[in-house]
Amino acid sequence: MKALILNIQRYSLHDGGGIRTIVFFKGCPLRCPWCSNPESISFEPEKVKMESKCIHCENCSFDVDECPTGAIKLFGKYMTVKEVVTEVQKDMVFYRTSNGGVTLSGGEVLAQGAFAVELLKELKNLGINTAIETSGQGNTQSLIEMAAYLDLILFDLKIMDATKSKLILGADINLIKTNIKMLVNMNKKVIPRIPLIPGYTISDDNIKEIITFVKSLNLTEIHLLPFHQYGSNKYKLLNLDYKLIDIAIPSSQSIEKIANEMRKNGLKVVIGGL
Amino acid sequence: MGSDRIQKLKNQLFENKREVSLERALLYTESYKETEGIPTIIRRAKATAHILDNVEISIRAEELIVGNRTKKPRSGIISPEMDPYWIRDELDTMEGRPQDPFIISEEDKKIYKRVLYPYWAGRSLKDFINNKLTPEVREPSDLDIVKLNQTDKGQGHIIPNFEKLLDQGFGHIINDTLELSNKHPDNDFYQASTIILKASQSHILRYATLAKLSAEAELSKSRKAEYLEIARIATKISVDKPENFYEACQLLWYLCVILQYESNASSLSLGGFDKYMYPFYENDLKNGITKESLREILTCLWIKTNDVVLIRSSNSAKYFAGFPTGYTITLGGLTASGRSAVNPLSYLALDTYQDIRLPQPNLGVRINELIQPDFLRKTAETIRLGTGIPQIFNDEVIVPGFLNRDVSLEDARDYSVVGCVELSIPGKTYGLHDIALFNLLKIMEISLRENKDNKDITFDEIIQIIKGKIHKYVKLMVDGCNIVDTSHKEFAPVPLLSCFIDNCMQTGKDITSGGAKYNFSGVQGIGIANLSDSLYALKKIVYDEKRISLSGLIKALEDNFEGEEHEKLRTRLINKYDKFGNDIDEVDNLSSDILRYYSKTVEQHITPRGGTFVPGSYTVSAHIPLGKSVGATPDGRKSGDQLADGGLSPMVGRDILGPTAVLKSVSKLDNYLTTNGSLLNVKFSPKTLEGAEGINKLCDFLYAFMKLKIQHIQFNVVSASLLKSAQASPNDYKGLVIRVAGYSAFFIELSREIQDDIIMRTEHNL
Repeated sequence: MKALILNIQRYSLHDGGGIRTIVFFKGCPLRCPWCSNPESISFEPEKVKMESKCIHCENCSFDVDECPTGAIKLFGKYMTVKEVVTEVQKDMVFYRTSNGGVTLSGGEVLAQGAFAVELLKELKNLGINTAIETSGQGNTQSLIEMAAYLDLILFDLKIMDATKSKLILGADINLIKTNIKMLVNMNKKVIPRIPLIPGYTISDDNIKEIITFVKSLNLTEIHLLPFHQYGSNKYKLLNLDYKLIDIAIPSSQSIEKIANEMRKNGLKVVIGGL
Repeated sequence: MGSDRIQKLKNQLFENKREVSLERALLYTESYKETEGIPTIIRRAKATAHILDNVEISIRAEELIVGNRTKKPRSGIISPEMDPYWIRDELDTMEGRPQDPFIISEEDKKIYKRVLYPYWAGRSLKDFINNKLTPEVREPSDLDIVKLNQTDKGQGHIIPNFEKLLDQGFGHIINDTLELSNKHPDNDFYQASTIILKASQSHILRYATLAKLSAEAELSKSRKAEYLEIARIATKISVDKPENFYEACQLLWYLCVILQYESNASSLSLGGFDKYMYPFYENDLKNGITKESLREILTCLWIKTNDVVLIRSSNSAKYFAGFPTGYTITLGGLTASGRSAVNPLSYLALDTYQDIRLPQPNLGVRINELIQPDFLRKTAETIRLGTGIPQIFNDEVIVPGFLNRDVSLEDARDYSVVGCVELSIPGKTYGLHDIALFNLLKIMEISLRENKDNKDITFDEIIQIIKGKIHKYVKLMVDGCNIVDTSHKEFAPVPLLSCFIDNCMQTGKDITSGGAKYNFSGVQGIGIANLSDSLYALKKIVYDEKRISLSGLIKALEDNFEGEEHEKLRTRLINKYDKFGNDIDEVDNLSSDILRYYSKTVEQHITPRGGTFVPGSYTVSAHIPLGKSVGATPDGRKSGDQLADGGLSPMVGRDILGPTAVLKSVSKLDNYLTTNGSLLNVKFSPKTLEGAEGINKLCDFLYAFMKLKIQHIQFNVVSASLLKSAQASPNDYKGLVIRVAGYSAFFIELSREIQDDIIMRTEHNL
């Protein structure tokens, strides 16, 4: 069994506690307009040319192996469970000293659920702390199977209105709600993560609805991930349309306002992840 | 009360530009002219005694800890008896040189040319050594494979037995020496020791006299009282052992200054200061002395360690840039019985350092499985200040490393750091820790060139040829080192220093004659990261992918990658093949194999004093000048470019997977073997370490470092943009202290090249 993996990133400090390695799965069913990793959306490997690295050889073959600079680059690589495990095991000593571990992220990890279950099973066998970061848009049964091998689930909540969610993101908010409830009922540690996107998730109604929903789940901690523009260059690279190019990042006051509203409701708020 | 004084003392250090003082050289020469024909060791003792009796002494305003090597702070003193030539050649350029400039007056230039140079030319240590170096022994130096050190200055890189001084006091030590001298009237060492110990005693008494005179002239009542206290202490400790913390710190500093006159040497290091000073500190607290006043004394001592700087030749200053004077202190560690040795003074040492933030003392912290977590936290907090102090040493690999060198368990647990990162057993080792550098990358360059037209050569054969050359040139390096070693014995023994190294007194021998308990010579293998990167790229491109022939590749190197096609080749070599520092076994195994081979070869050799040669892997700032002598290499490095910094660090900009991968790569080297010391630089952005969480993460990272059995790590926690601002407006950043390599220095005092190097070292930012 193989999965399409975008990247394995070591020494990550903000996605699940301690020093972690993040396995980014490639391919996502959603189309969030603010996505900061657009190269993780397609379920196919994608070849791109990075202009900044290119030295403009005559007769460019657009061949990844032949390109001397690495300007011709392939996003996505099919990997077996064993290959991924070999790679993530390299930082074992750091996981042990920092209570860190491995986080599966994306793309959407649920979209390659069977592989993820096998991978998580193997990681648990090795005593590695595990987490996923998910949009919740995916097969419930698959999520239940994964949950058995998970120590932490970072669960995105974005747009709560069913119509808007469908229209803008292509998401089924009812399915997402069912999935998070199910995880909470399984007594799993779940932390909702809210991307704060001006014009999309930042609105009084949406924030209010998130708070109400999170409280109904009896969850006590929430992460806020403020919008940034770090991904904008990658849209150009992939010839994708990026609608948020002119959107300013939210001010720290507006972020604090939202955070305070949540704190008032008894939630522990972490801005920017663990 | 204290902070005003501390600020004044700090400011005082930098009021004047650095100058050269000829006083020591003139006094030494004056004495030497009168002692022709008597044994060298006694001559040396008399010359040093003559300096101690006559050199102008001073007490600076507000000082509590006194004792100055030169009247003005941070002056350079020269020792033409070691090498008169570089000084003559550089008299006119000293002031304008890019690294470590010094002012020398026109009058002094004349005196140098008229008095000092003519006397020492032809009879210096340098001449002595040069006359012994045969063309064969010179070959590795001529080929830029080996750089022999310690050919132009006296002995340093050693930790005197301060514990003995503080436990016994000068009076007791002198009596013992006199007794031995009477018992063995023919032993020149005992005679010399007696002369120099007595001179030390009177030198300290000169401070008592000066302090009394200063008290008489002083109007301020409180300062008058301080002068009288300085006088009382000097009188007392010139004979008796110290009884409180102030007296102990003062006695330690007097010995430091006096030893400087004997050797004018780098790195007479302070060892496990918190261990041997703690009894005094604890006792004072019990006697009701306030922690605040003890803190002030300690801070005064720290500032004094910045008063002494070393003037080096312009060439040597490139290798040791920015005054690594080497008042190195190693905190914490293990007791003789294997418990954590951290005590309240270890904490105070870090606290007081946080107040002064100067390049000296060069603090290091030993970490091990038993370290108190809150001490580790304080260590992490101090690192976060960004001055690169303290550096970290790992007991879990260093102690077993010493056991493998036949050091006793208790001595191994007591190890300490000399100079930058050199490992030593304090008070018991004459380790010639910096006797030579061995350029491994140069060996590869020569091996490749010799086989340029060898069409049938396999990759494994290339490795074998490299190993063969390592074998050959290590032997020649050893011969060179042993010549320098013996020359110090014959020309420049150090009787005073030897009084404070076990077992010189028992054996009646100076350290240079083999009197020390442990007798190593330390030789550094340099360029391991570039070597493995180069060999791996060569293997892939020539043998696996067959994109170019070996001769084609070597031609490109000889052309320094000039031309479009070659540039494309260089780009591929840099970008397409994995590099050391990214936790890739195939690459890391190459460096591990060759560094191990180098180490096992080195340790076969014996010093004239009976100990073994021991390998190290650190560069100080030598990766820049050593890089200058190596042509283009298959890792894409151009001719003359610097080598990887540190010793163990990946090549700048080649580690792309973050610091955990760097540590993993380095952990694959056999770090048990490099008992002379090794050095790893890691740069963190300040943001990574913000808040309590940032400190937790750094502590977790250090625990992992410990478990990976890497000897050393040091951090620069300053953003690249801040350093660029400091380059642009140096006057605004006079106090900015930064890690160079095993030591810290003022950033603005470094040459542009080294500044750029530090800015380029990868900043890990996640």
